[in-house]
Amino acid sequence: MTREPYIRRQREEHGRRSVAVLPVHYPKELLTALDLLAVEVWGPPGAPRSDAAGRIQAYVCSVVRNALAFLASGGADAVDAALFPHTCDSIQQLATLPSDFVGWKKPTLPFLHPKYPGRPSARRFLAEELRALATRLEEVAGRKLEPARLAAAIALHDEIDLHRAALLDGRATLPLDDRALYALLRRGEWLWPGDHLAELREARAKLGTGRPPASIPVLVTGYVPEPSALLEILNGAGAFVAADDYAAVGRRVVRDDRPPTADPWQALADRQLAAPPCPTRAADQGPRMRHLAGLAERSGARGVVVHVVKFCEPELFDVPAIRRTFEARRLPVLYLEGELEAQLSGQAVTRIEAFVEMISGAGGAA
Amino acid sequence: MILRRVQYEAAAHAVGPFLAALEDWRQRRRKRPARESPFAPPLESLRALKDMMMVHYLSGRYADGAVPVAWVTSGFPVEMLRTLGYHTVYPENHAAICGVQRIVPALSDAVEAQGYSRDLCSYVRSDLGSLDTGKSPVGRLPRPDLLACCTNICQTVLYWYRDLARRFDVPLVLVDTPFIYGEPAPHQTRYVVDQLEEAIVIAERVAKRPLDREAFSETVRLSREGSDLWGQCLDTARSRPAPWTGVDGFFHLGPVVALRGTEACNAYYRTLLDELKDRVARGIGGLKGEERHRLLWDNLPVWYATREITTLLGSQGFNFVCTTYTNAWAEASSLIDPADPMTSGARSYSQIMLNRDLPNKLRLLERLSREFGADGAVLHSDRSCKPYSIGQVDLKDRLARDLGIKTLLLEADHNDPRSWASELSANRIGAFMESFS
Ligand code: SF4
Ligand code: SF4
Repeated sequence: MTREPYIRRQREEHGRRSVAVLPVHYPKELLTALDLLAVEVWGPPGAPRSDAAGRIQAYVCSVVRNALAFLASGGADAVDAALFPHTCDSIQQLATLPSDFVGWKKPTLPFLHPKYPGRPSARRFLAEELRALATRLEEVAGRKLEPARLAAAIALHDEIDLHRAALLDGRATLPLDDRALYALLRRGEWLWPGDHLAELREARAKLGTGRPPASIPVLVTGYVPEPSALLEILNGAGAFVAADDYAAVGRRVVRDDRPPTADPWQALADRQLAAPPCPTRAADQGPRMRHLAGLAERSGARGVVVHVVKFCEPELFDVPAIRRTFEARRLPVLYLEGELEAQLSGQAVTRIEAFVEMISGAGGAA
Repeated sequence: MILRRVQYEAAAHAVGPFLAALEDWRQRRRKRPARESPFAPPLESLRALKDMMMVHYLSGRYADGAVPVAWVTSGFPVEMLRTLGYHTVYPENHAAICGVQRIVPALSDAVEAQGYSRDLCSYVRSDLGSLDTGKSPVGRLPRPDLLACCTNICQTVLYWYRDLARRFDVPLVLVDTPFIYGEPAPHQTRYVVDQLEEAIVIAERVAKRPLDREAFSETVRLSREGSDLWGQCLDTARSRPAPWTGVDGFFHLGPVVALRGTEACNAYYRTLLDELKDRVARGIGGLKGEERHRLLWDNLPVWYATREITTLLGSQGFNFVCTTYTNAWAEASSLIDPADPMTSGARSYSQIMLNRDLPNKLRLLERLSREFGADGAVLHSDRSCKPYSIGQVDLKDRLARDLGIKTLLLEADHNDPRSWASELSANRIGAFMESFS
């Protein structure tokens, strides 16, 4: 089932309202606890859905331009509100455009997560901002947030992440191609968490029962795996994603063993802070590079694919550090930049194939 | 250390002023053929401005090792650093100088070779390129002991300063100002206050001295006065004709950016204000000929093409009388209360235009247009500065619709001339001017 009928069915069968959510990080647990369906809008990919994309200059990323076009075209009319996490300068500005200038009539909610989140001030602010967002989401949901439901939602998302982490970490023993695996993982962007959990459990049972259809492990770091043909081309060339650091996927899988706490609000803040380092939260480059190096090492990656969205400053700023990190480890790096095109260009396909051919040589050294 | 301090003080108070005076004298003696220009003779204060900035950069060369040095973003609440005796360096200001000198392509090439994208802000590419190549129009910048970053202008500065912190291996203090939709919530202001307190602790540790809270209040008072004086200078352009061009303001902005919170900065603006008022009294305008149309400029200047753009417009009697960019520094410290520098500072520095939503920006554009009697607006669509540029398409339409003024969206990059199509822009400006007839 695709998104729109699913949103309708959730409303009809469960009385669930829904919220369109822009990338990247947000407290999904709050929405779940309030019985709100989160439907993430990563663009959407492909050509902009309306002329409204032209209201944002062509030097702004396609995620933001497509999102405005999508909202303006009525593509998200099935939802009850839109949530704009404070991801970057572009989304921050986008948050005021739909309702103030484009005629979007539903509530728009910003979520201002603190940058450099390790500081005591940032922690305090995060706690307060979570409560402020909860109050606004209560209005959308038409119900009050109960602490017990919040605790249950946190436990549910912990379990989801446990399965996602297992699937990503045990990737080499999972008999699925990358397209199928990512389709599964990314359905979590719009399925009700309970439904997503059921799918994940089923997939996890297949771990250890086979292998991916390709044999050369690579680390992929970037924003969002679009177009998904990229994964097919990789597999077709003989490589598979053995380690994932996509903002849309791996960077949102919380793996940390956090200290148990009885206070669901504290648990919620802890969970936000425990996600892997992400440039959209201005993570320090040191820990992020160590995290990436660790991913590459554990997965035995023979090369690194950096796959970013053109004009995306948060990601682009880390590219030189990524290059340095892997040059020092003699791991080849392939840099791909896209604009959420529906298809990969012929040139990109050739580059991916040549890259895989290169790393498939002895040792894979550049 | 002592020798270094002597050199620093000498550069600031003796050698610098002497060299500046010498340069003045040479300039006066040099007989330059008069340049064909639509502008009135430059303001007398320009000389004092040049001297002041020259002394600032010259003393900076001897600052490291003599006094604590902080590299600071233009919107950082600098008053605490000033009080702690820091010599402050503004990489954005330095980058703009590189832009005016048109050396950005070479600097950018150097960092692009390391994997920095050309799609990153050209200020960042300019400064990192200057660090890597050692090329700078001001000789050299002193090595920082502290990096001080405030995200009230953009998130880009945080990525930029994080990179600097790695290069220099020095502490980075961050004031992360939550973006304001509508009005700031109390917990958002509290967050900024908390960060100011955290920043002070680190800045004290690096400076090896405690912050004298009384002296801090005095710096805050000076800062506010500086912003007020700057605002009054800008306001003189409400008269007809405006006594200068808004574009002059781009250059006279230097002290309120780089020396905010000092008596020297305020003294300069008193002089400038007197001169502008005198011009108003005598009916002298920024243009030589008649001021036929009055324009608003939005966004950063196109540093390398400012003269090209204004000459084209000025020759047909079009004068920029106000800009959102220069106005930002009249706002920066305007709400600070010396009696409560922390909370009022948090509010003031959070509420600058770039940290507020688009309806607020529209109100500002409309207010400036009305108060300065603008009948046209040029919105510089700056490919390097997304926070300033997103929304301009709608803002332009709304300005035209609400106020009935002519508007132009002009594509450029504020610092990198490789994104500037001179001929195409001239044609667009030409068509814009024709639309007034
Ligand atoms: S792709 Fe980058 S610039 Fe665009 S919305 Fe996402 S984080 Fe922001
Ligand atoms: S020009 Fe724009 S993006 Fe660049 S530092 Fe200034 S405000 Fe930030």
